[in-house]
Amino acid sequence: MSGQAPEVPRPAVRPQTDASPAGDLPLAVIGQPGVPFVEIETLRAREFIPAAKEALSSLLKEQAQGKLIRPVFNWAGRNSLFPLHWGLACCAIEFAAAFGARWDAERFGVVPRSSPRQCDLLIVNGTVTWKVAHKLIALYEQMPEPKWAIAMGNCATGGGPFRTAYSVVPGVDKLIPVDVYIAGCPPRPENMLDGILRLEQLIKERGE
Amino acid sequence: MDAKQLSDGLATRFPGKILGVDPLDGTLGRIRFDPAVATDLFRSLRDDYQFTHLTLVGATDWIDHREVFYVLWSDTDRLYLVLSANLPTDAPVIASSVPIWPSANAHEREAWDLVGVKFEGHPDLRRIFMPEGYAYHPLLRSFKIHEPEDLEVKVRSD
Amino acid sequence: MTHGLWNLRVRIEGEIIKDVEPEMGYLHRGIEKISEDRHYNEIITLMDRTCYVAGLAWEHLFIVAAEQALHVTPPERAEYIRVLSAELQRIASHLMWYSAFVQDLGLMTPFLYGMRDRDLILDLFQSYTGGRLTYEYMRVGGVRSDLPLGFTQRCRQVVDWLMDRFVEYDQLCLSSTIFHERCDGLGVLLEPEAVAYGVTGPMLRSAGSHRDLRKDRPYSVYDKLQFQVATASTADVTGRYLVRMEEMRQSVRIVRQCLDWLDDHPGPVMAEHLPRWLGAPYAPMGNESYLLKRNYPTGVGLSMMEEPHGEAGAYVVNDGGEHPYRVKFRSPVLINIWAAKRYLPGYRVADIPPIMGSVDVCVGECDR
Repeated sequence: MSGQAPEVPRPAVRPQTDASPAGDLPLAVIGQPGVPFVEIETLRAREFIPAAKEALSSLLKEQAQGKLIRPVFNWAGRNSLFPLHWGLACCAIEFAAAFGARWDAERFGVVPRSSPRQCDLLIVNGTVTWKVAHKLIALYEQMPEPKWAIAMGNCATGGGPFRTAYSVVPGVDKLIPVDVYIAGCPPRPENMLDGILRLEQLIKERGE
Repeated sequence: MDAKQLSDGLATRFPGKILGVDPLDGTLGRIRFDPAVATDLFRSLRDDYQFTHLTLVGATDWIDHREVFYVLWSDTDRLYLVLSANLPTDAPVIASSVPIWPSANAHEREAWDLVGVKFEGHPDLRRIFMPEGYAYHPLLRSFKIHEPEDLEVKVRSD
Repeated sequence: MTHGLWNLRVRIEGEIIKDVEPEMGYLHRGIEKISEDRHYNEIITLMDRTCYVAGLAWEHLFIVAAEQALHVTPPERAEYIRVLSAELQRIASHLMWYSAFVQDLGLMTPFLYGMRDRDLILDLFQSYTGGRLTYEYMRVGGVRSDLPLGFTQRCRQVVDWLMDRFVEYDQLCLSSTIFHERCDGLGVLLEPEAVAYGVTGPMLRSAGSHRDLRKDRPYSVYDKLQFQVATASTADVTGRYLVRMEEMRQSVRIVRQCLDWLDDHPGPVMAEHLPRWLGAPYAPMGNESYLLKRNYPTGVGLSMMEEPHGEAGAYVVNDGGEHPYRVKFRSPVLINIWAAKRYLPGYRVADIPPIMGSVDVCVGECDR
């Protein structure tokens, strides 16, 4: 290659990196003329609600065609996973440590919420006993779709050191579908963050 | 107070009901008693010997009999005392110590739940750890730990 | 509740609590049953998970009972390392309690500070046990390995830093009007009632009692160490806060004395002449008939210790085999929660988080 590369006019739409299931439709539609996202940012608060309604209705129209909303949803959802703030056992202490000052899991958009209605991620951080199994299932079913589950630690994965005990569920995947398993007894906070990042990757690949 | 003094005092108060005293490191000793005098013995220990604190109630399954043990603490002497009583396997019943030491409540529920020892006069003798309606007392020696693989088969067959 | 997996049924009239019924067992993992099927040194693995905020303290508890049942005496250096570990663990556990408790009150900054400083202690543990939360460090007859080079120096730096931070914690909480309004005079449990209901640990000492097994019945090498028992007289939530803060300072005092002793007294950390089935790494060769002897004398071991949550106990029955016949643990948390029947009625529903937060609940040891 010699000389300078010819100056290519910068496209209005950024080159697509996140492949959407629709294939040809780029994710970065924000900023395209005709899509009202950019205008919303410059609107004053009083005008925001009608504008948002309009934007939403247009989005829903495109959604009806199966074009737009899923990639946006996917991008927004995987970068703001809200786990349920539910401590089961030892792993819950490392779960808490991950939200402490040293690891600061909130920089990945992971914010624990106390109500299952506000969550899309269930991190099963500890041993699940048969006595609590139906409560775990109830909590999982209360979470709105799309939802994800991480089995954190050996106990949630397969019973761990308590596998032979009479009261312990040998693996939480007997109860709910699990997307990511994290090994460790307990996993270090880095491992937990790694598991969350892998879940983000998984959501992106599935494109839901 | 030493073990001899205590056992002599108790033996005169409950003739024939104190079956022996074993030495146990770090405590005053381990007194074996007849479960028939349980309530009176507990009251006497609390009121006359200042064992104000009940630390632990537990039970062991010795297959041919079950043993209930109590660990008491005396604030004045700063000593532990272990009591133990043997109960027959077919009728493991002993008087509850809740009227004397309220702290026995949770311990006795636990002993009932896990070892199946009944405490007469307990205000609320229900299971504490296992769910209500669970059929077994898991700390009995006859209760074998099953391999989880067996369990999975059971779940699938349902 | 953010303190683990337990349930509190409350009967109320208006805003006033009339009766409560704690429900446990959601984390019952059958540790006592599994222990009957395990080697003594394999049970240590379970001990870390029994109380996951104070693993080394529970390892110490079980190991002392097992040594008593098996008639093994550890060397003195191992005892000092155990006490050092237990006291560092007490600070870490109280810092965990502090972080969770202030979150119950709605404060976020102290949570970040508490977790930050707790991580420093976990780093120390990691340097000599390899684990952050589950250590598997103590053994029947001693500890697994000696402290690494330069450990005492690092440990001194950490406890010096912590002593400054304790002042900061007090400034954050005690100078706050909101803290006092939410904590003062709540959950009062006076000493005679606390004794009757079996409450131990900081909850009992906040009622003015001086009961501390480290003083009353010195185990390990506590009789050679200088420290004071932290007490308060208010018997309420603020009193429990003050007791735990003072206990951390006293623990730092004990840690410093242990470090001084450990600097001056090198030596073995495992008892000699242990049978090989106890997993002694340096079992002497040549005396094979003794090493292969499996029938140890039968015995009963009872150890009671002042664990961060209160008075914990282990009752180990050894019938001459490799596995204990029966292991029974006394959990202070089970009884401290149980006494909620006494100290919760009469307060308002909104007072439940600070009161139950001040109990320092660790469900793993409560349910076992």
